[in-house]
Amino acid sequence: MQIDGVTIADTFAEAFTMRAARVVITGKNARWARQAATTMTGFATSVIGCKCEAGIERELSERETLDGRPGVSVLLLTMDKDSLPQRLIERLGQTVLTCPTTACFDGLPDAPDRLPVGKALRVFGDGFQASKVIGGRRYWRIPVMEGEFLVAETFGMQKGVGGGNFLILAEDADSALAAAEAAVDAMRHHPGVILPFPGGIARSGTKVGSKRYSTMIATTNDAFSPTLRAITESELPDGVNGVLEIVLDGLDVPSIEAAMRAGIRAACRRGVRVISAGNYGGKLGPHHFPLRRIMGAAAPA
Amino acid sequence: MSDQVVLTLRAPLEHRLEADAIVPDRFPALGARAIAGLPVWYGGRPATVGDLFTVTGERSERVLMHGDLTWAVGLGTGMVGGELVIEGAAGRDAGLAMAGGVIEIRGTAGDNAGGAAPGASRGMTGGEIVIRGNAGADTGARMRRGLIAVTGDAGQGTGRGMIAGTVVLFGAAGAGTGRWIKRGSIVSFGAVARPASFRYACTYRPPHIRLLLRYLATRYGLPVTDSQVAGRYHRYSGDLAELGKGEILEWAGA
Repeated sequence: MQIDGVTIADTFAEAFTMRAARVVITGKNARWARQAATTMTGFATSVIGCKCEAGIERELSERETLDGRPGVSVLLLTMDKDSLPQRLIERLGQTVLTCPTTACFDGLPDAPDRLPVGKALRVFGDGFQASKVIGGRRYWRIPVMEGEFLVAETFGMQKGVGGGNFLILAEDADSALAAAEAAVDAMRHHPGVILPFPGGIARSGTKVGSKRYSTMIATTNDAFSPTLRAITESELPDGVNGVLEIVLDGLDVPSIEAAMRAGIRAACRRGVRVISAGNYGGKLGPHHFPLRRIMGAAAPA
Repeated sequence: MSDQVVLTLRAPLEHRLEADAIVPDRFPALGARAIAGLPVWYGGRPATVGDLFTVTGERSERVLMHGDLTWAVGLGTGMVGGELVIEGAAGRDAGLAMAGGVIEIRGTAGDNAGGAAPGASRGMTGGEIVIRGNAGADTGARMRRGLIAVTGDAGQGTGRGMIAGTVVLFGAAGAGTGRWIKRGSIVSFGAVARPASFRYACTYRPPHIRLLLRYLATRYGLPVTDSQVAGRYHRYSGDLAELGKGEILEWAGA
């Protein structure tokens, strides 16, 4: 299968079930909402080293938020449901509570699983905090030097999907980067999806474990590293000298597929030879995203 | 089952009507005949709802009442759910000790709306009361939780002894507003006769007010302005003769 001269490999991306929360951060203006969201989602590229994965889903207009201010929707995912509330408490407490003008709301109000995040953060108020029930939901007012920080008492949790991905195999690093940037531009703001790596792009794809260091749970993906082509079992076709990876997390499979479809389509451009994907033979992750099926669904009838 | 139960006053009330049997959350189990047979006291004598009202509809927790009910006492007493809409004035003790649901009074309300029964430590513990008009004295007195919004003026002692909850006043509030409150918020867009035992804290833009007022505008269509939603409020803490964790938030303009 080819799209604009780019081969779509007959392979699939393999992804895992995660636990997800959606946090809506509002601010006096878009600048401060964005600032809090950017800080909150910093150092959250991979559960391997960051304990969670997080990213900005999209920006929200005044009409889309509960308090009528500009906002940003953030998704945060962990591998298990026990650690999600802890990660939220840490990150909201250190990055949103501290950020001027912000307030913080639950973006999954209908999710039956509730995480007592605001309920935990309230103790920062040292007994001076107060709660308000508005529209059937409780919020905490935490006094701070600026005035008050308002946070929802609970946040919804639902199953999510982590580790959707595709690889851009290009003639050189510059072509790979240009294609990856185009893909990110096409995928950004797809509802229910985040791209947790820097600028949405990862250059250091991994394989499971290590050939040399027993304590490492993930090491460089030597099969896709062009500098190792001559000394390892390379999977790179001739003429490929640069590879970048796009990793996607999301709230459900259809959201990931829709974003992958848009991203791959945008990445098929001059200088790109192959679009491939990372998997573990289908044995580890329950969610499989076959590239050709996904892109076939996009083909005109 | 019908969408709503409509109770229409047959003739103007001339005596006090003890109407604490009219509680919407009990109506889903009642047919029209059973509703008409609910006991009330009128002028100190036993009567039934059907003696005073025509009953239309049955088995619904939305109840609509038509007529001047200034003499009707205790409408929605202790209700835990459902919706009671009164197309006209209501007498004292509407929503007395209610725990849930909504009472909407499209006229003036008598004293002690959402308040406590004599000798009781708590008034309403949940639910919402919207009064589209003036409210009498002691509105929300000793309330423990819940929301009361008054589009007109409120009488003296509004929120007296509140334990928690919220009262929003679009008009002025009488003397003794907030006296002896422990926690809770009284939000006012008009003049408030504050007790001397409240102390000024600051002037700021409370983030929860944005949420609260937008909710009142969306849910009930109350006449909230942008400058009230985003405005500045003087915060007075009190009652310092009590716990002191309550507040009067007085609108200070945009």
